[in-house]
Amino acid sequence: MAKTKKNTATDEMQVDLQQQESASKIMSEKIEAAAESMIAEENAVVNDEVAKTEETSFKKPSVGEQIKNFFVNTWNKIKRFFAKLFKKDKAVAQVQQTDGADAVAAKQPVVEEKLPFKVRFGRFCKAQSGWLFVLPAVVLMCIFTFYPIGSAFVNAFKQDYNSISHEYNGWGFANFARVLKSDTGTGGATFVQCLVNTVVFTFISVPLSTLLALLISVALNSIKPLQKAYQTIFFLPYLTNSLAMGAVFATFFTIIQTPNNVETVGLFNTIGELFGLQPIDWMGMASPKWVISDNLVIPWAKYIVVIIYEVWSGLPFKILILFSALQSVNKQYYDAAKIDGASKNTVLWKITTPMISPMISYLLVTGIMGGMKQYTAIVGLFGEQMGINYDMGTMVGYIYQFKDNGYMGYAYAGSLILFAIIMVFTVINRYVSKKKVSY
Amino acid sequence: MKITIQNLTKIFPSRNKKKDPNGAVTAVNDMCIEIPSGKLVGLLGPSGCGKSTTLFMLSGLETPTSGKILFDEQDVTSLAAERRGIGLVFQNYALYPHMTVEQNIMFPLVNMRIPKNEAKARALDTARLVQIEDLMARKPSELSGGQQQRVAIARALVKMPNVLLLDEPLSNLDARLRLQTREEIKRIQRETGITTVFVTHDQEEAMSICDTMVVMKLGIVQQIGEPQTIYDNPANLFVANFLGTPPINIFKGHVKDGKVYIGEEAVATTKVEDQDVFVGVRPEGFVYNAKGAMTLDVDHIEVMGRDKSIVSRHTSSTKPYVRSIIDSDVKLPTDTTKLTFNLKPNKVFLFNAETEERLR
Repeated sequence: MAKTKKNTATDEMQVDLQQQESASKIMSEKIEAAAESMIAEENAVVNDEVAKTEETSFKKPSVGEQIKNFFVNTWNKIKRFFAKLFKKDKAVAQVQQTDGADAVAAKQPVVEEKLPFKVRFGRFCKAQSGWLFVLPAVVLMCIFTFYPIGSAFVNAFKQDYNSISHEYNGWGFANFARVLKSDTGTGGATFVQCLVNTVVFTFISVPLSTLLALLISVALNSIKPLQKAYQTIFFLPYLTNSLAMGAVFATFFTIIQTPNNVETVGLFNTIGELFGLQPIDWMGMASPKWVISDNLVIPWAKYIVVIIYEVWSGLPFKILILFSALQSVNKQYYDAAKIDGASKNTVLWKITTPMISPMISYLLVTGIMGGMKQYTAIVGLFGEQMGINYDMGTMVGYIYQFKDNGYMGYAYAGSLILFAIIMVFTVINRYVSKKKVSY
Repeated sequence: MKITIQNLTKIFPSRNKKKDPNGAVTAVNDMCIEIPSGKLVGLLGPSGCGKSTTLFMLSGLETPTSGKILFDEQDVTSLAAERRGIGLVFQNYALYPHMTVEQNIMFPLVNMRIPKNEAKARALDTARLVQIEDLMARKPSELSGGQQQRVAIARALVKMPNVLLLDEPLSNLDARLRLQTREEIKRIQRETGITTVFVTHDQEEAMSICDTMVVMKLGIVQQIGEPQTIYDNPANLFVANFLGTPPINIFKGHVKDGKVYIGEEAVATTKVEDQDVFVGVRPEGFVYNAKGAMTLDVDHIEVMGRDKSIVSRHTSSTKPYVRSIIDSDVKLPTDTTKLTFNLKPNKVFLFNAETEERLR
């Protein structure tokens, strides 16, 4: 008898529990439904708005509307996210409130399974184990990449920043203004000169070397004997130190002048003499130049030296990339083109180039980024003074001067300006390549 | 345009002559065929039999080692591919992925320096022929396999070629689409009247649409003729084996006194002299008869609705199973595994046991 009684008691309790559960289920369902309907209404409103905007402008919404839609959509997403997040908690809370009246149920806490901390922690770690693997890299990146970037962004705005004592004289844009106006009181290169130099070097040498690399790799792809040998030869410059290359190039372009006579020893002048050209002092004091203004000269002979150097040193990597891209192009396209009567020129520009256009775009983007950061080549060719009176300075060289002289504030500001310039070109690049780079 | 192939041979040289002096591969060996104008011809054979090589030699992408190719009376053997006036559809279509369908179809015309307006009009006409005029603005990656194939055919047809060449045109399509597309190819060929050569390893495909079929093996042409003729009169054991699904049953047998024996049983009569032979019997050549001439040990019966396929064993069979197809109306005894059949005389072929040539 006693057993049966006990059983019935437990049965009753179970029934109670079940009821409770069902009640809570119903409640939560109701709340869910309510939340959903709310969201639905909001969406409907937004949809109406969108519909209206679509009615007014037929095809594409204007830029303003696009931005507006973006914000509205994002706001909705956030709302939905929080609605989802709070739905459970609310349901539980409400259920608890309703149950408050019931004494029996109050003793029985609402069944919410909570595993021991150890288990939960273990599961969490297992689920997030990917983070553990990238942790070393992330930590290093934080110390050596993200922190310096962040501190550059902050310190660039500290006026008269002293990098040793960390003292500064208020916040502002003074650093930027002085860097842009070359009014830093440190002498040396000017901003305008450096910017013009950098842009000219980059936008002549990168497209030129990419084009050359394309032609060379196409040629390389079409020969069979000695292909490997040529590949090796073309790749050799990649293994060479850029300062050493600079020294070699400097020798190519040398000229020795004494007051009485001019002696040509450099390779380029010697070749030029064969064709009856006057020897040019390519890199020295008498190098020909156009004077544009007080702040700007165009030493074109030195430009030619730098551009030849950069094209040559940029070729191997580009050839490597483009050659491997070419090899992955299915040969059948060339057969098809042959059947279709395409000339070799047509095949190159209408078939081959579009096929490897993703790689070309990659080379242009990274090439321009690298070109804007050019410095070692200039030092290698012209020494640390970057030509005569800094006339061959580049943006990075300009920034390095400040660092070397201890004006870290200017260096930070200069870096941010360079960052902005690179950013602009990269965005333009991406925009263009989205339109041009197909498939 | 009539195509004449005379003594065409293609030898691929050994890749490393020092290490492997005998590595040269004869892909096509002394091929002589004549393809009449306006016909649809299929080159059929197992993989590696040289059928694609033949096609590429016709197209000009491969140069023959020896022999001649004539289009009508003109010798095109050494003519460059683009000057032969041919259209070629590749096995994987080779559509230019960066061009739209329209640009793909127009590409041959642009290369011929045809004015843009005319080129567009012709591209549209061709697209209509293959029923893809709605897809002109799409890129190949946005098309299904069947649609891509039509684009490839349109690109081959747009320059109004004298000869259309198709390399395994249906192998990348699923079964249903394959049936549909082969009818399409037949229709397009009929509408345009272009001499068409196509390559396939699928005998069913070849038999269903070809006017003339060329069966090849290891670079050597085995038999040329209309599909039905070849099926009914295979020239040798290989052709008999290659054509027909389910494949023909081959038994070891012998001929004695005008009778064909398989094992101890005389199954047919013949005029062939006494010798050892291979006896080929098409699956549909078996007729159930309670007192039939040939006894088979039935393994199981597959019901296929229209008819049933009896899978059985026979000690003289060269294959593990003997397959016979009989009408599903025929009632078979269920109490025994030994069934006896008579053979239809026109479905029984005799082949020389050594040369494997047909004996008549």
